[in-house]
Amino acid sequence: MNPVQDNRTPGSNPGVAKGNLDLLKHNFLQIWQVLAALAVIYAFFYIMSPPFRSFDTLLSIFGQASILAILACGTTIVLISGGLDLSVGSIFAVVGVATGIFLAQWNLNPVLSIALGLSIGAGLGALNGFIQVVTKVPAFIVTLGGLTAYKGLAEILASGRDLSRFPDAFRFLGTGNVVPVIIMFCAAILTGLFLTKTRLGNRAFAIGGNEEVARLGGVPIAKSRIYYYMLGGLLAGLAAILEVSKLNFAMPARGQSYELYAIAAVVIGGTSLFGGRGGVGKTLLGMLIMQTIIVGLSYMGVGTSYQRIAIGVIIIMAVYWDVWRKPAR
Amino acid sequence: MTFKFKTAATVAALAFGMAGTVVAADKRIAYTGFSTDNTFWIGVATAAADEAERQGVEFIDMTASSPDAAAQKDAVDRAIDMGVDGIIIGSVDNRAFDASLDKAATAGIAVVAVDTGIEHSHVSSLIQTDNLAAAGIAGEYIVEQLGGEGTVLILGGSAGHQTGNARRDGVMNAAEAAGHEVIFQICDWQDACAFEKTTNFLQSNPNIKAIFSAWDPGALSAVSAAQALGKLEGLVIVGFDGNPANLVAIAEGEQAATIKQDNTQMGIRSVQSLLSVIDGKEAPALVPIDGILIDSDNVADFQ
Repeated sequence: MNPVQDNRTPGSNPGVAKGNLDLLKHNFLQIWQVLAALAVIYAFFYIMSPPFRSFDTLLSIFGQASILAILACGTTIVLISGGLDLSVGSIFAVVGVATGIFLAQWNLNPVLSIALGLSIGAGLGALNGFIQVVTKVPAFIVTLGGLTAYKGLAEILASGRDLSRFPDAFRFLGTGNVVPVIIMFCAAILTGLFLTKTRLGNRAFAIGGNEEVARLGGVPIAKSRIYYYMLGGLLAGLAAILEVSKLNFAMPARGQSYELYAIAAVVIGGTSLFGGRGGVGKTLLGMLIMQTIIVGLSYMGVGTSYQRIAIGVIIIMAVYWDVWRKPAR
Repeated sequence: MTFKFKTAATVAALAFGMAGTVVAADKRIAYTGFSTDNTFWIGVATAAADEAERQGVEFIDMTASSPDAAAQKDAVDRAIDMGVDGIIIGSVDNRAFDASLDKAATAGIAVVAVDTGIEHSHVSSLIQTDNLAAAGIAGEYIVEQLGGEGTVLILGGSAGHQTGNARRDGVMNAAEAAGHEVIFQICDWQDACAFEKTTNFLQSNPNIKAIFSAWDPGALSAVSAAQALGKLEGLVIVGFDGNPANLVAIAEGEQAATIKQDNTQMGIRSVQSLLSVIDGKEAPALVPIDGILIDSDNVADFQ
C-alpha cells in the first residue's frame, strides 16, 4: 500500500502503477516531453551541420556523455530521496586517484583495483549520509564540507605521484565509445531497477515526497538515506574509474564541478530538485540534451564559452517548462 | 502552447542558422590549446588564427575556457568526427590522447603538437620552446644573481607534465650544480597555489633567496605573496613565458627576470607545420623555438 501520493503530479510514484506494460506506458508518458525536446535539438543540429549527421557523431554524443551520465544516475537516486550530495565531484577525484595508485603504484590487477575504487566511492558516500542523519546538519552543508575535504584527500593521496599509463586490460573500459556507452546503459538500467523494483528504491520516492508521512508510516528514514548516499558515491566512483581509463591518467583536479553538471542533467530531464519524483531515464535524456548541445555547437564552430551560456539557458528553460506545465494537469 | 513553443523554437533555429552560415574553404584545421583564459595561450591562438587566414585555411578554435583534459580530448574526438584536415593540440595533459590519435591516424587526419610533446607515432611535428635549454638560461641567471648562497624555491606545473618537468630540471640542474639547495613544489600551473606556497615557504624557510615559477602568472603571485610578507627586497623572482604583466613587474623591479617564449612564432609555425603535413610535404619532427631572457636591462625592448 502506498502511503504517499505526490499531489503535484498524480501517479508519478511508480509504485502505484501495476504490471510491467503499464509501468512502461506510465514512464513513457512522463518522459515523452524530454524525448521530444532532445529530438528537436538533435534535428536542429542535423539540419545546421552536415558533418553532424554521421552515425559516428551520434555514438560520440553517447560516449562523451557516459561518464557524467553514470555520475548523474547516483545524483538521481539522492535527489529523488530528497537529499543532495555536492561532494560527488570530489568523491570522483578521490576514487580516480586511489584507483590510479592501485594500478600504477601498487600494481594490483584491474579487477581488484576497480573493486577497491568502487568501495572507496561507496564508503565516502555512506560517510556523507551517516554524518547527515546523525548530526541532522542540512545535506547542503554536510556535502559542501565533503566537497572541500575529499578534494584535499585526493590531493594528499596524489601528491607528487605520476599516476598514468595503466594496463591495457583496464584501459579497454574507457577506450572508444562503445564500451563506455554499454557501461552507462548498464548503470542506468540497474539504477532504474533499483528505484522501481526494490523496496529500498521505492522508499526513496516516499521519503523524498513527504518525509513526515513516511516517518509516520514506519519507513526507516535514516538507514535508507545512508544507502542512497552510498549508492551516489558508488556511481560517482564508477564514473571516475571510467574517466581514468579513458584519459589514461588520474589526478586530483578531475571531477571539478561535476556535481553541478550532474544536477543540471537531472533537472533538465525533469526530476524534481525537491524530491519525491523523477527517474533515471529522464536523467539520461537530460544528459544527452546537454551533450548534444555541446557537440552540435562545436560542429557549428561555436566556442566553449557560448556553449556554457546555451546550457545555462536550457537549464532555466527546462525547469520553467517543468514548473509551468503542472497546473494544466 | 506546445504549438507556439515549437513555432518559436523553429523561428529561432532558422535565425540562428542564417547567422551561423560559414563560407566553405578548401582546408579546415582544428586547434585546441590549453585554455582561453591564459594570456600566453591567447597569443598562440591569435597568431595561429592569423596565419591560417593568411594561408586561406579555415581555422576552428575548439579550446576550452578552462584547462580540462577530458574536455580537450572530447574536442579532439569531435574534430576527428567532423572530418577536419588537420589538428593542432596544445595539451592540457599529454597523456590523454592515445586512443584519439589512433583514430586520427586511421582517418588520415594530420596532427601536430604545440608547446607540450605527445608521445604517439601519429604526431608529425612538435613546435615548442626548448624548455630545458631555456630554463637552463633562467637557472644560470639565478645562480649568477645569488652569488653562491641561498636556497631556490621552484614552483612547478603538474606532476609528470613534460613541459613542467623540463623547466624544473633546467633550473634545478643549474642551481644544484652551483651548490644551492633546491625546493621543488608542484602547483598544477595554478596561481593561487603559487601564492600559498610562496607564503608558506618564505615564512618557514629564511634561506630562500630565489623563486623560479615555471609559468609567468605564478611569478606574479610569488611577487604578491612576498610583498605581503614584506620580504620582496633582495628576493630574486624569475618566471617563464614573457607575459606583458610580468614585463611590467620587471620594469618596476618587483620581478627579476623571465624567459620569453615566442608564443607568436609557436602559433605561426604550428599552422605552417600542419599545412606541410596535410600537403604531404616534409615537416620537421621538432621545431624548437628560442627562449629569450628578459631582465631589467632589456625589458624595455619587449614592451
